[in-house]
Amino acid sequence: MLKSPTQSRPRTPLSVQKTKSKIEEQEAKFTLNAKDKYFAWAFLGPSLLILGVFIFYPMVRTLYLSLFLTNTVGKTTVFVGLSNYISLLTSADYLSSLGVTLFYVFAVTIITISLGLVLANLASKRLPGIGLFRTLFSATMGVSVSVAAIFWLFIFNPSTGFLSLISTFLHLPQIPWLTDPTAAMWAVIITTVWMNLGFTFLILLGAMTSVPTTLYEAANIEGASSRFQFFHITIPSISPTLFFVSIITLIESFKSFGLIDLMTKGGPTNATNMLVYRIYKDAFYSGNFAQASAESIILTVIIALFTLLQFKVLEKRVNY
Amino acid sequence: MMKKFTAFLKAYALPIFAVFALVLGFAFVNGSKNATTAKAGRTPIVFWHEMGGPAEVALDKMVDDFNKSQDKYEVIPQYQGVYDEAVQKIIQSHGTSASPAVFQSFDISTAQMMHSKYTTPVQKFIDEDNYDTSNISPVARSFYSNKGKQLAMPFNTSQPVLYYNASLFKKYGVTPPSKSPSYSEVTRAAQELYKKSGHKVKGMTIEIYGWLMEEALANAHTSLINNGDGHTGNPTKINLNNPTTKKFLKWIRTNIKSGDFVNYGSGASAETNEIAAFLANKLGIFVQSSAYIGQLTTGTKNKLGISYFPHPDGVKANGVGIGGAALWISNDKPAKTQRGAWEFIKYTQTAKNQAAWQKATGYLALNKNSQKTKILKDLYKKIPSAKVPGEQLASAKPNNTNSGILMEGMQLTRELEQTAMETVYNGGNINSALNTADTAMNANLKTTNKADGR
Repeated sequence: MLKSPTQSRPRTPLSVQKTKSKIEEQEAKFTLNAKDKYFAWAFLGPSLLILGVFIFYPMVRTLYLSLFLTNTVGKTTVFVGLSNYISLLTSADYLSSLGVTLFYVFAVTIITISLGLVLANLASKRLPGIGLFRTLFSATMGVSVSVAAIFWLFIFNPSTGFLSLISTFLHLPQIPWLTDPTAAMWAVIITTVWMNLGFTFLILLGAMTSVPTTLYEAANIEGASSRFQFFHITIPSISPTLFFVSIITLIESFKSFGLIDLMTKGGPTNATNMLVYRIYKDAFYSGNFAQASAESIILTVIIALFTLLQFKVLEKRVNY
Repeated sequence: MMKKFTAFLKAYALPIFAVFALVLGFAFVNGSKNATTAKAGRTPIVFWHEMGGPAEVALDKMVDDFNKSQDKYEVIPQYQGVYDEAVQKIIQSHGTSASPAVFQSFDISTAQMMHSKYTTPVQKFIDEDNYDTSNISPVARSFYSNKGKQLAMPFNTSQPVLYYNASLFKKYGVTPPSKSPSYSEVTRAAQELYKKSGHKVKGMTIEIYGWLMEEALANAHTSLINNGDGHTGNPTKINLNNPTTKKFLKWIRTNIKSGDFVNYGSGASAETNEIAAFLANKLGIFVQSSAYIGQLTTGTKNKLGISYFPHPDGVKANGVGIGGAALWISNDKPAKTQRGAWEFIKYTQTAKNQAAWQKATGYLALNKNSQKTKILKDLYKKIPSAKVPGEQLASAKPNNTNSGILMEGMQLTRELEQTAMETVYNGGNINSALNTADTAMNANLKTTNKADGR
């Protein structure tokens, strides 16, 4: 679905674009004969069928469910129009979920990208033994969500955990990592960033090593500092990749589920009850399918908005 | 030669690996231990359950023994994941060929199962067989019954109890809580232990868990919802903000303030953490399900002490309700299959099977006569305190407040109770936390009643 990050599309010359669009116009005018139509349906049919059954029908069904109340067994009973949406958008509980989700998503994206840049910049230097560090920095890519969650749960354990042992040793106050609402949010953010970092690092490193060395050589001759080189050569050169990684991280963190389920279950006091986790709980714990459907629709709209925004804003800054 | 070999590897490594993985995968799928079809001449009884770990092993053995004990039916156990998700699976698969004949569903899904009308109440078979239920724990039975009719048969049953590390109390010369302690007594024990250990041992904890708060209400003979906690009619009003809840939360608040109380949060990780701390001699007292006895007595030299669930000062303990799950019979299967399901349920209730079940899992034996079996007598000789939860269960006389809360949407209610507890544990105002929960719970109840046309 998404293009490989390192393959940036070469800009098509204007003249070629024009001729291309003329051909497209001609193709559009071209009418299909009966045999072609038959073939068209034959080839498109299977994929349309699959899309219809597995994508479009569930989408329409979700919209339909969100306009009703559902009973014990999940069947629709009373038509309530938009009242599910209204009660959600006026409930302090749901709005706070929205707030924490946005906070989490932005914190994760910003921290992951910044740390990834720092690590990739360090590892892009051609030094002896750098391969070891490259492997170490990207190692979290191979860690599954459940392993990461359990690993960090051990670290955060209030009585026997690593962090608690350190703070006891240094006579620092104990941080109740998973029981204090603010700390729990950071615990989840730290774990998510830790998990995402390997992938982000690897992609950014790939982009950095493909920046032509001649640019740096020229800059060195000019006497530009390494900081200047980083912000004026490296960042602009890898901006398509940066764009790709930030979208992926943002959307992935919106969909974050496994970590929440394993680490906090949305608690304490709903401090980590993100939108996706809330949908799951409302549907499959509480059996409230109508409300969960309304939440799904709202989440879809939010993600679509963000994706649109990102394309609109970031695309301008991308240096293809 | 070497070059050719590497070229070959480069070209075929991936397909070879893929085939290898597939073969390996199939080998494991075929090797899975539970059969899915019955032997010829036997009626298959598909049994969905949510028991993992040692309990699953014990359950599989019970099923195996049942299948060997007769030749008409074959029970096929299938693990379905955690309780909450299983409820939805059971309901959504009803009426299809994939649905189970008999299934295990947890305590707070009782009202949902009852209103779904997807099950045959076991009362029908009790009447047909003149089955004597008097040997089965009355508190457990009343939890899964409505207006004198038994809806499902209690199976794995636990009660919340108070655990204390008897060795630690002895070491620091602190008197442990009595058999049926009051709130202030527990506070006294926890604070003394915390002080005398030089703050090395935390006094107590209570997990942020709606079930424990509901049990505190039950033990003080207080209803959470109207119409006798739903037992005398359809509930229309929830009242969490009552003096009993406030007393319970104030008690916890007192201990948090004096520093002897440690908060491990909620959910499975809280339970893991409190048990780890307890076994590592860093925690003196905690209130939790009796099903943890096994974990608390293996691999430790410490002596385990167990008391009844604490009660408020000046209030006589009403006895707590149960937790756990029951066995239900689906009504979408032929009469013969339903009969087979009932035969299996009867088998699970025998004195011997219940005794073996308690020993293997820590869930309480429901059959009165289990206490006379050698299995449990041996267990009590080894771990004397293991006797206490059973005594607590036997001592409770069932009434509306300790027979569970018969209301749909209990999962959501628990969530909201939990949020209220979290607010209080983190220093929030008790009254406003309970009011917030009440508002949300009543709004949900109203929606539920409207959706069901009640």
